[in-house]
This record gives sequence, structure tokens and C-alpha cells, in this order.
Amino acid sequence: MAESGSETAAGAKPKRKPIVWLGIFLISHSFFFSVVFSAAGVVALLLLPVLAKNTYISENALMPGSAASMLSNQEVAEASRLVSDLTSSNLKPLGSAIGSQRILAQHMSNLGAEVSFHKFHSQRNQFHPLHFFSSPDSGRVEQNVSCSMHGVNTVGIIRAPRGDGKEAIVLVTPFNSAKVNPNEAFSLGIAYSVFSLLNRVPWLAKDVIWLVADSQFGEYAAVSAWLRDYHTPVFSGLGTLDAEMCPESNNLYGMNENLSTERAIYDGFKRAGTMAAALVIKVADQSEQFEDGLSIYAEASNGQMPNLDLINVVNYLAVHRQGLRVKVEKFWSLLGVKWLNTLGEIFESLGHFARSLNPDWKFGIPANDYVEGSATLASSLYNQALGVPTGPHGAFRDYQVDAITLEISPKISLLDNIARRNDLLLRSGRLIEGVIRSVNNLLEKFHQSFFLYLLTSPGKFVSVGVYMIAFALLVAPLPLVATSLYVDASNSDSSVKKEKPSPSAIITRESWKWLYAAKKAFIVHLWGSVVSLLPYFICQMPSCTPTTSFIIWVLLSVLSLVLMYMVLASPSSHTNESQPQRVEWPILKSVTLSAAFIGLCLMSVINFATAEIGGLLMLPMCLMAHPLKPDVKARSKRTLSRAVCNLVLGFIGFPPVAFIVLKGAFEGLGSTNVGDYWSWVESLWAWNSATYLYIGMVHLPCWALCIHILFHRS
Amino acid sequence: MEAKTEEQSTKRKKQKHGSFWTWLAASVLFRLVLIYFPKNLNLSSRPEVSTPLTSLRRLAEGYWLKQSSMSPYAGSMYHGSPLLLSLLGPLTVKRIEGQPNHLLCSLVFVVADILNAMLIRATGQTLQVAYRQSLKSLDLVTISESSEVLPSGDIAALVYLWNPLTIVACVGLSTSPIENFAIILALFGACKRLVPLAAFGWVMATHLSLYPMILIIPMILLLGYGPDTPRKLLLLRRYGKAEDNMSIDSCQQQEKVINQSELPRVFSWRPVMLFLLWAIVWSAYVLFLCGVSAKQYGSLWEMFERMYGFILTVQDLSPNIGVLWYFFAEVFDFFRNFFLIVFHMNILFIIFPLAIRLKHRPCFLAFVYITISSMLKSYPSVGDSALYIGLLGWFVNELSGKSVEMRFSFCLFSVYVGVFLLSPVMHNLWIWRGTGNANFYFATAITYACLQIVLVIESVSAMLNHDRKLRKLSNTKIHVDKS
Repeated sequence: MAESGSETAAGAKPKRKPIVWLGIFLISHSFFFSVVFSAAGVVALLLLPVLAKNTYISENALMPGSAASMLSNQEVAEASRLVSDLTSSNLKPLGSAIGSQRILAQHMSNLGAEVSFHKFHSQRNQFHPLHFFSSPDSGRVEQNVSCSMHGVNTVGIIRAPRGDGKEAIVLVTPFNSAKVNPNEAFSLGIAYSVFSLLNRVPWLAKDVIWLVADSQFGEYAAVSAWLRDYHTPVFSGLGTLDAEMCPESNNLYGMNENLSTERAIYDGFKRAGTMAAALVIKVADQSEQFEDGLSIYAEASNGQMPNLDLINVVNYLAVHRQGLRVKVEKFWSLLGVKWLNTLGEIFESLGHFARSLNPDWKFGIPANDYVEGSATLASSLYNQALGVPTGPHGAFRDYQVDAITLEISPKISLLDNIARRNDLLLRSGRLIEGVIRSVNNLLEKFHQSFFLYLLTSPGKFVSVGVYMIAFALLVAPLPLVATSLYVDASNSDSSVKKEKPSPSAIITRESWKWLYAAKKAFIVHLWGSVVSLLPYFICQMPSCTPTTSFIIWVLLSVLSLVLMYMVLASPSSHTNESQPQRVEWPILKSVTLSAAFIGLCLMSVINFATAEIGGLLMLPMCLMAHPLKPDVKARSKRTLSRAVCNLVLGFIGFPPVAFIVLKGAFEGLGSTNVGDYWSWVESLWAWNSATYLYIGMVHLPCWALCIHILFHRS
Repeated sequence: MEAKTEEQSTKRKKQKHGSFWTWLAASVLFRLVLIYFPKNLNLSSRPEVSTPLTSLRRLAEGYWLKQSSMSPYAGSMYHGSPLLLSLLGPLTVKRIEGQPNHLLCSLVFVVADILNAMLIRATGQTLQVAYRQSLKSLDLVTISESSEVLPSGDIAALVYLWNPLTIVACVGLSTSPIENFAIILALFGACKRLVPLAAFGWVMATHLSLYPMILIIPMILLLGYGPDTPRKLLLLRRYGKAEDNMSIDSCQQQEKVINQSELPRVFSWRPVMLFLLWAIVWSAYVLFLCGVSAKQYGSLWEMFERMYGFILTVQDLSPNIGVLWYFFAEVFDFFRNFFLIVFHMNILFIIFPLAIRLKHRPCFLAFVYITISSMLKSYPSVGDSALYIGLLGWFVNELSGKSVEMRFSFCLFSVYVGVFLLSPVMHNLWIWRGTGNANFYFATAITYACLQIVLVIESVSAMLNHDRKLRKLSNTKIHVDKS
């Protein structure tokens, strides 16, 4: 639309439609508007904690807390016995791994649940460049597994008396059977108390699965292995194959025989229906606070969040029924920041002012709340941008199951005080029971509330409709400046041509001049994808420290850039010479801006937080880019400062430098080295984070193009 | 992006004549590499690539049904032609040990793509010769010689070959390369005035995907007028110039005389009649073949119902890059028939005005028709876009002229890139992540439709501007000659 305006302007038609006029107006004042828009984008981002709305339970069927809790001291006492059994089994050194699992299976089985063991091999996270676009199960890689590296999940299933077995609710307790931790034992106790209650309640309409995830290779690996096997039935009998391969794992089956008195311990894989929701229960060490706390972790891979209703239910029940203090993660370091405090005070006084004008305007929150909200928002943004799940709940999101991790942090140490322990056991058990009862009411899967949101506190959220405004304002200058540069370049060019009129020349290629720039941009983006693929080969090399790997990566990248430039770009240099050099860089910049715009918009759909942070980093660099030579030659204050700005932005824009600067800003520069960047990037691709692709295929090429513009000879 | 890069690389054609063949070989190599690529490309299940009509998996299913002596149309899986079934069906079951599945079919599609490119190239060259001739008839030859003329045939062929959409459609195992082949064959035959070939191409294209039926108008114009005719009025002035000295009264009469005798090309009915005759013969033949293959399991009527009925009544509402699926998922059942008529009339309404306005450029008219039908057809796929983007290359000389250039070329290109990157992401968000909904995906579909509308509008207006420019130049020439 914007461009249509400009083109009409070139044609100088007397009558213009309002929208065309608007387009011309925006483009002709592109500098002013780009400054205004990007400033507005930053302000809107800072305003987000103020604009956050209170959460509300959107799905009527949930009805949290409407039924009295049925969990009684009897279940708690049983659970407490289990906890002490487990902790005491830890004291026996020999065979404790199997021992604790046997105890668990026995307890489950005694309750009347169907018990099965799920054996899995810890799979090293592998680099799947194309994983993002494919379905979750297509990324499954069969690989040789070493027999010593296997874990065993214990799974108990209660069949619902009122259900048809088509739906299920999952409870997950990570548990390291090799070394029993009292906290983990306590979390098992909580799950057990709920499980034993659910076994005899009449209202259960969805099956309940209790997964005791063997966390000796990491909690996430165990849960994701179980989910993978749950969702991809194997008909060829792969499980038996595994057993043949690994004779030492047979002791579990031997154990089954010992438990011959139990009715249902089953070798194969047991399933219930589709999962409606999953709760991961963990217990943290003693908290510093004076109350029992509950931390909620919700971020799954690539910034995906569970449905807000799930968090709402947990938050509502924990606060209003069980009196727990609910927290979500925040950046503690931001709490003491001066400027944020000042900003909060400004917003607060603005709110007062607005209220004095009209009492109905509810704008502004107390400065303290603002700072806390921003710290939470920053952490929410950071965790989403990283694209790495914050706990085992992340594995569920890949199968469209809403899941959160509940981490209960007791006021006092659990070992000391049995009464306190039982009290906390009762309260957290009731919380879990309430949540399960709510989810049990669901008729469909969670769909009513938001999936795309940022939390500013457990009870406040910013929805996609609000935060997208901030992003849209931030990136609006990109197409604006790109169009304006493009129009200017083609106009100045036609004015040059007008001086020497050649009426016979009807066939020229003026309008397609951008193809050269587009070709250049394309080659650089191709290079970006090559660079993103290189680590796949580098990590095949044995015994490389992160620093050497990083250096190899940089060297190979430079080499590939030179090679690609020689192979693909050099033949066009003849044609480039015939082109007027003067107009080339604005067109190149225009193409760069368009590429950045497309990349950022794409990323904002995939992972909003990455796009927002990437936009903040990339926008000034791309918009400021201007060849250094004429700036330095001009020697005026303005051009020199622009050159300096460009150099600084170009330096910071380089991804490793940006990483080290940001890391230094938050953690201090002391221990930082370039190897950290490699490790960070490695963790990104190990988790299949789209942020990795963003860095390689959007940020890096745009940075390279900006540097190219800076050193453009003209 | 690749296509454009390659396009401009072909501009060096004059220096290096062999580069066309190099790029062609490279494109074939690239396709083969992609075919051998591990399975996680998963292109054949993308809704952008394979529609219910073009999916090879459905064809294999239909073939399997046929082998077990059932109707291939049973169970609403297969909706293509029975001829395609007999051609490609045996290849779908043949597996070579250690090679990817459907390797033979992929090779067939690669060959179809190469043939398409060669036909596009040959047609483009014919068009260019015709364009030069028409300039000559207007005494504007100096124009074409003074400035460089791009080899539009080569450009069009390479744009077609290297267009990522073509590659995706070819590697993604959709039958659209074969459908495109029929369309291009028809246009090629008409340009070269090979009437039986043109009729065969048209009949096959219509048989395979129904919508190319509307191409009969440009085909008739092509056969009647030839590939490129300057407008009649222009010619009249041109040839009227000698008689300008005579009295104004006799001028009218003179023009009529010229119209009948002197004009180099007038509408010739003979090839058109021949074409219609051949078309009837070929369609009878195709129907006969279909009847033979349909005899085992059902009637010819079932084929019509399951192929063309399926296309016209939009029975399958699974998402694709078109706009109809969404609309007909929303519409109330009792309005359904009404809107079906409205949507299909849409195409027919546009046909005649365009034919009147662009009758002097039948190939361009065909391009516009293909674009419009690929926008409004019930199951569009990227293969259709690949075709019209390739055909756009034929008119690179006309559309990139100075001051009559196609506007927003850069903008259109950026939006194309954006839409085709965003579309899979939105689909992923909707289907796999479950955080988005159908509106997300439909948003890209509607952007894509708007994009095609802008493309049609801009290219048509650029073409008309070009003609206007030619007329102006010709007029000034007349004045110069007179003075």
C-alpha cells in the first residue's frame, strides 16, 4: 500500500485517494515516522506490565474449588509411610535402584492400579535442522544405544469408573532411583496420596496416569522417551528386541516374578486415552520465604505456553484454597534497578493523574508492582526466547498436551518436622486433587483461554493482542524505510536518465535493478543456512573444547562465505560494473530491510519473544546502516557520529559479541570466553530451538549485509 | 529468490550461450539431490503441494483399488483421471531395492519439468520472433535493435525450472508437472501453429484439471491472429499514412480496402476450424480410452461425477492455499449451491472482457487466464503458481520497459517470499502446535490471493501501457515521416 502511493507520486497524478495520500505522506517523512514508531514500540514494550490484565477462568466447565476436598489424613499417613520407606531404602546401598522402584510398584499395585515398567535409552539430543516443520514423531531417530544407559520409568494407571478410557490426566514425579533424594521422595509422597485417593473416588471420568520418571539421565529425557513411546505404537516388537540386546536389563523382569502376588504388573507398554493435561510435581529445597511457596514453570520448547486456564486453576486453588504463595520465575537482578524504579514511579503518577481527570480510567499500577511485573515479564520473555523448556512439562507440549511443573518449596526443612511435613503433604495433595478434579470436568481439551501470552505475575498476563502492538510498532520502520529508499533510488535514477533523453530506448531494465541486490541478499542468506548447518559436522569431530569448536566454526564460515562469493557472485561483477554504483547501496539496504522484516515477522509467529529481542538488537543496526567512506569524507559532526554509531552497532550486532555483551551485562564479564557462545548455541540446537535457526538464517545474514553496506565502495 | 537470481544470471546469455544448458543441467541435478534427500523433507504431505487432485499418494491408493478390481473412485480417495492412473499407477508400486520410494514417479516428474522448460523456451523464442516482426510492421525495428532484447524464452524456461515452487511441486510428488505439461503443450502447439498438437494439449489439459478449458479463447485467437499482432487500429494508421495526401472523404473507403487486402494478418478461420475439429476428435478419443478403462468397474458417468463433480462442488474442505475451502466450511448448507455458482461464474465473468481487451496478445491472455484460474480454482497448489510465474517470463521485454515497467515488482516479490515462508509456519501453528487456528492459515491464503490479484492487475496494466507506448512511438514516426 505504501509503495502504491509513492509510485503514484512519481506519476504525479493530480487526484489521489486518501490511502494513497497517506502512503506518500508516510514515505516522504520516513525518517521522522521511523523514529516515532520505533520509540513507540519500545515504550509500548515498557508499558506491558501496566497493561497486563488479571487472569480469569475462561472455561466454565472447570469450576475450580467448587467441591470439597476429599483428601484426608488417612491417605496422607499412607503417603508418609511410603516416603519413609523410600528414604530408608536409600540407606541400603545394594540394589537400591531396583529396590525403590519395586517399593513404588508394590504400593501402586496394592492400590489396585495397573502397573507397568517402561524401559528407555537416553537419547542424546541430536541436531535436526528440519525438525521444526515436521510432525513431532517424524523426528524419531533410531540409533545404536549402549545397553548400560537405560532408565526405567514406573507407570501406574487408574481406570476411571465413569470414563470410557479415551482420556487421561497425567501426574509426573521425577525420581532418581539410583540415589533417592528426600525432596523427590516427598514429591512421590504427594503424588501417592492423590493417587490413592483417586483410586476410590466415584467422580473420576478420565483415567489417571502416574509416571514416575527415572531422572538419572535428566527429567526431560525420561518424560519425552515415555511420551514418544506412548504416541508411537510399535507393532514390530521393538521392546523385545531391546531386551534381547541388553541382557542385564532383564533383572526387572525377574523382579516381576518376585511380585507374583500382585495382579497386574505388565511387561508391555500400557496406555490410557489422549491426555487432557499433565502436572509435573517437584519439591524444592527449603525456601527463604516465611510461607510455603509454589512455583509454576510453564515455558515449553520454542516459547510455547500451556493454556492459560491450567495456570489459572492452579493459581486459584493454591492461593484461595490452600494458602500457598504462588510464584513465577522472575529476574531478581532487575528488582533493584534504578531506572526501572523511576519508570514505575512515573507510570504510577501518570496513573494518579489520569484518575484525577476521570475516576473511571483505571491506568497505572504501584511502582513496586511495576518493577516486579517487569522482572517477571523479562524472565518470561527470556525463557520463551531461549526456546528451551524450563522443565519436563516441555515434552508434553510437543504432543499438544497442556502441562506445567509445580514446584513446592516448603517453609522449613522436611526432614526435621514430621507434623509439618504431613501438613504440607495434605495441602499440596489437596491442591493436586482440586486441579485434577477441575480437569476431570473438562468436556473438550483446553481451548477456551489463551495460548499466546506473557505472564507478569501468577495472576496477571499480557495477551497476544497487546504485545503484538509493541512488536508491530517496533518493526514498522523496516518496510517504511525500505520503500522510501527504493523509491528514492528509482526516482533519482530516472532523473539521471531524463537528462539524456533517448526516446527510442523502450527496453531497459530499470525496474528490475533490485534483482542484483536481491541476488546478493539471497547468497548471504544461503550462506547463513550453511553456517547454521556447520555445527552438525563440527560436533562429529572428537575431543573438541568449546573454544576450539567455535574457532573452527568461525573459520569454516568465513571460508564458505569466500567460496560462495567466488562461485556465485563473481560472474555478476561484470554486470555490476555497468550499473551505476551510486544507487546500488540504497537498493541493497532496501532489500536488507525487507529481508529483516520478513524474517522478524516470520519469527514473531514462531516465537514472539525471540522476534522481539532480535528486533530490538537488529533494528538500529539495519536502519542506521550507511556507507562509512562518504561519512568520513564529509567530516561534519553529524556524519562522523553516524559513522561511529554504525561501527558500534555493527560490532555489537555480531551474534557472539551480542551474546557476550548481554552475558556480561547480566552476570559480569569475569568468566566469559568465546567458548561459552559455542556451548550456548549447542544447547539451543540440542533443544531444537527455532532461535538457533533465527540467529543463523535471519540475524547473521542481515548483520553481514549491514557490514557490507558499511564498507560499500561508493 | 533462486528463480530471480537465475533469471538475472541468464541476462548474460548473449556472452555465454551455453549457460542455459548449464543451468538446466544444474536444475536437474538439484532435483535429483532433493529426491534422494532423507525422508524428513516430508514435502508430499504438505497441503501447499499436494491437493486431493494432484497427490500421488491418492493416485497410488486409486491404483491399488483398481488392481483389486474395485472402482478407483471408491472411498473418495482418488479424483484424477483414469488415464493418469494407467500411466503412473504401475510406477507407484514398482520399488527398486535401496532406492527411495516412488523414485520412478519422481523421475517422470523431473522429465515432465524439463520438457515443460524446453517447450516454454521454444514458445518464448517464437513469441520473440513474432514480437520483432510486429515491430517491423510498425517500422519500429530500430527500437528493438538499438537496445538489447532479453532472450525471453530462456529466461522464462529458467524461471520455470529454478522457481522454488516448481521444484517443490516436482519433488513433492504432485502430478501438477504433468498437468502443466498439457497446458504448455497446448500453448506451444498453438504458437507453432501445429493444430493437432494444440488440440491434443488442450483436450488433455481440460481432461486432467478442467480449468484449462477456458484457454480455448486464447488458443483460437492464437491460431486466428498469430502469436503477436499489433492492434488493428494501429496498423490501419500505419498503412493509411501513404493515403493521407488524398482527400479525407476517400480515406474511409481506403481503410476498408486496406483492411481487406493489405493488412498482413487478419483473423484466419481455417486453422480455428481445424482446431475445433481436432479437438472433437481428440476428446472423442480420450473419452473412448476412459470408457475402456472405466468399463471394468463402472460407467463413464462415475468418472465425470468423481472428477469434475468433485472439482466443481468443492467436496473436500481440507485446507489448501486457495480460499474456497474456508468459505465452504463456513457457509450454510442451503446456500452452498448458490455460492458454488457464484464462485465459478466469477471466472467466466472475467473471461470475456479480458478477451476483448487483450485479443491482440493471445499468449498474454492465456497467462492472465491461468493466473486467474489458479487463484479461483477449488484445489490450487504451488504447481499452478509455478506455471504462471514461468509464463510471466515470456513477457519480460514488454513488462520491464522503461516507464512502462511493471510496478511493485520488488514488493510483489517480497510478499511472495513472505507468504510462502509464512504458510507452513501458520499450518504448523494450527495443526501441530494447536496454539493457532484455521484463521491463521487462512490469513496467508487470503494474502496469497490478493497477491495474485495485484500481479494480474499490474501485469495487465503494464502490458497495456506498453501498447500505448508503441502506439505513441508509431504516431510520432508517422508525423516525422509526413513532415
